[in-house]
Amino acid sequence: MPVNSHKKRFSAADYLLFSVVTAAVLCLCVCAGSVTIPLKETVNIIRQALYARICMLFGAPASLPEGTAASIILSVRLPRVLCVAATGASLSLAGAVMQGLLRNPLADGSTLGVSSGAALGAVIAIAFGITFPGLPFAGTMTMAVLSAFLSLLIILGLACKLDRSLSTNTIILIGMVFSMFVSSLMNIVITFAADKVQQITFWTMGSLQGKGYSEALILFGALLLFGGILFFHTRELNAFAIGEENARHIGVNVRRVKLVLLIAVSGLIGICVSVGGVIGFVGLVAPHILRMITGPNHRRLLPASAFGGATFLMLADLAARMLLRPRELNIGIVTSLAGAAVFLVVFWRAGRGK
Amino acid sequence: MKLSVKRTRSTAALLIAAMLLALTACGSPKEGGQSPSENPSSNASADTSVTVTDMMGRTVTLKEPATRVVALTASDCEILFAIGAGDTLVGRGTYCDYPAEVLDVPAVDSGSETNIEQILALEPQVLLMSTMSQTEEQVKQLEDAGVHVVVSNAQDIAGVYTAIEMIGSLMGKDEEAASVIENMKSTFQEIQENATGDGTETIYFEVSPLEYGLWAAGANTFMDEIANMMGLTNCFADVDGWGEISEEQVLERDPDYILTISLYYGEGPRPEEEIMARPGWENVTAVKNQAILNLQNNELSRPAPRLAEGAQMLFDFVYGR
Amino acid sequence: MMLEVRDLGVRYGTKKILNGLGFSVKEGQWLMIAGPNGAGKSTAINAIAGGIDYTGSIRFEGEEIRRKKPAQLARCIGVLTQSHPVSYSFSVEEVVTLGRYSHSAGFLSRRVEGKDTAEAVNAALELTGMTKRRGQSVLTLSGGELQRTFLAQVLAQDPRLLLLDEPANHLDPVYQKQIFDLIRDWLKTPGRAVISVIHDLSLARAYGTEILLMNHGTALACGTADEVLTPALLKEVYQMDVYGWMRELLSQWN
Repeated sequence: MPVNSHKKRFSAADYLLFSVVTAAVLCLCVCAGSVTIPLKETVNIIRQALYARICMLFGAPASLPEGTAASIILSVRLPRVLCVAATGASLSLAGAVMQGLLRNPLADGSTLGVSSGAALGAVIAIAFGITFPGLPFAGTMTMAVLSAFLSLLIILGLACKLDRSLSTNTIILIGMVFSMFVSSLMNIVITFAADKVQQITFWTMGSLQGKGYSEALILFGALLLFGGILFFHTRELNAFAIGEENARHIGVNVRRVKLVLLIAVSGLIGICVSVGGVIGFVGLVAPHILRMITGPNHRRLLPASAFGGATFLMLADLAARMLLRPRELNIGIVTSLAGAAVFLVVFWRAGRGK
Repeated sequence: MKLSVKRTRSTAALLIAAMLLALTACGSPKEGGQSPSENPSSNASADTSVTVTDMMGRTVTLKEPATRVVALTASDCEILFAIGAGDTLVGRGTYCDYPAEVLDVPAVDSGSETNIEQILALEPQVLLMSTMSQTEEQVKQLEDAGVHVVVSNAQDIAGVYTAIEMIGSLMGKDEEAASVIENMKSTFQEIQENATGDGTETIYFEVSPLEYGLWAAGANTFMDEIANMMGLTNCFADVDGWGEISEEQVLERDPDYILTISLYYGEGPRPEEEIMARPGWENVTAVKNQAILNLQNNELSRPAPRLAEGAQMLFDFVYGR
Repeated sequence: MMLEVRDLGVRYGTKKILNGLGFSVKEGQWLMIAGPNGAGKSTAINAIAGGIDYTGSIRFEGEEIRRKKPAQLARCIGVLTQSHPVSYSFSVEEVVTLGRYSHSAGFLSRRVEGKDTAEAVNAALELTGMTKRRGQSVLTLSGGELQRTFLAQVLAQDPRLLLLDEPANHLDPVYQKQIFDLIRDWLKTPGRAVISVIHDLSLARAYGTEILLMNHGTALACGTADEVLTPALLKEVYQMDVYGWMRELLSQWN
């Protein structure tokens, strides 16, 4: 019989290992790109920029590196890679949490339609001009988070009514029904706001091209806030992953914890979608692969998923940028390819398990 | 589940496809059309019938020039109005928006949502459409219902002349069509003669802004043809048709001019301003020199007579600076 | 009185599952709830565990259980359910450790298990004979092993009142005896009580200090085995000669 030898905690050494790998991939993604810039020059530019920033911090005069290569590295690649990393980590965390909550490894923001729900919120904000004065992103962001939350409530409600044991088939069915529902609502919104078709289409495709440091800051802020909340609930997540009834019996405040978890997940998905549109399957692929390494204990799975999701999406983005140079692939196409493969594997295993 | 994701994606793809179709006809340069063969002028007094060979090589004969036309493609509507046959239009595709009068004509769904009944209800004699937007089944259905289907399929400027000539003879407006073509030709010729560029200066055609993923017009597009005409090099000539490109490629290729066709909705920065404000773009020559032109009425993206106007605007912008 | 149930009512939709059920449990007692299928035995356990809405009152040491916070309630009442659907490969030890949740559910202590956790977990694993399997994935366990894992969890939880829904399920005779003896030993510590739903009347008789006979969602009789398991009452509830059947079964062994 196979022995589960997984450790319980995510130790300092694990953190170090995962951060080193993630940092290495981040460096790779900054160094490699559509335009080839020699490694030496890249390092130089980053060194100069860091030096200049530090000088400025202490009030000393310094100038940032200039030239096309510097622009490409500092203004285009670095902020984009940071956005991609934060999005990957957030979506992967959200996926891992949903898989724990619903006790099914196929649950994810994209497979269940939560991401499409968030996109619908963003689209409604755009179509009907919902904005908060002075805060450029706030309108779409708030609507995306709210509608992600609403989507989750509807999905959980459906799941409860249809099949309490939440079999794989139920999850797929719910995801299909809900996604179709959202896509028809989306079409209705489009008929009301035909002039904004281009903007609206963007939300359903997803792209992190052209994102800057301010977006990266927002994404990392959300990751820190909502991810932090999740990290404080790893034991409850373990309890949910074993069984909701069991969780209640051992003393978990099921209602409150579920609400907190749903808010955190909607926050993560909503903000990612409002910045980069729908990028599918990240929350399915990364936690699934990492669960094989760390085991299902969320104390290890959550940090691993965050790092793994960031790494996975950065590599997917790199592929999207590199494969068809100078053209660019949609990042969602790359993640969907990987996602479809993992989806099949999970589904096949689930089927064989019966 | 995968199904539903694909659904969203394909809806999006269809939307984009519809937009692109409405805006332009690009792709591989095929000689799609042949010269329209007019009815020989023997017994001209009695016989008013017209015969045209459309750009798919199909022959269509009408007893007399058409008086009720539905045009699904924006460029065909523009051609109809340019040759003075705008009053024959009884229906238009959703994306037909020029000239302003066309908006008074009832709209019918086009592209993937083409609704045969909707078209038949308008009782047209002729349906003008492009190859990209309709399926063969739809064509057959319409012909079975007695509507003559004429296909336009201009891939380059020569193709546009063919389309104008074809529509002209279909409507019995051969002379008008000839004069529209003549005007276009003379504008282009003038541009070519006055352009002093030797191909060293580059231009970047931005057809979708950074916010929604950067798309450029590459080779085999009207924009590319017109750039070459005025001695400019399209800096994305290695991309075929329209394609999503990497932001850093634009910085690397450092265009001298930028033409953006983004729409301005009246709020936020104008498209030119938005490009100039992009972080990292300050080193691009076009941004340094503020050499950015915004043409937002599809002047350079539709196979229609206005290509000449668009080319003239670009010429004035480049050489009038 | 440790647990006092009065006029307990539970309904699913329009169907009344429990109707005016009342009984009480004192420290040191092992109350066996018996009765035919559909009598509402598991529902009664579920209501006491705080899992469903009910009318009437369920008081634990005088306090209504619905007023207790979940963690507080878990320190008073522990539950072992009949079935244990598991879908991820948690280890036996991880599942058992979660039993300690209610003892350190505070905001600051939530990420660290208390000092006594390892001790309680080891003791529970030892008692249930799962020490050797502590690192094994729950997905690879047999039904009996799974039952013992969750029993270890509830023992680690260290409640005052233990609710067991069909504890003999999935267990072979060896473990049946072991587990029932184990629970009897557990009960020897002062301040504890057990309620279990049970079909096997022989087991009920052998281990129970009190027996509650239920039918149609209400208590038919409650008291010692001799008072409750009379031929007449059993005949009324089960509509058959239970005594005769039991004798017939046992006679095979001579």
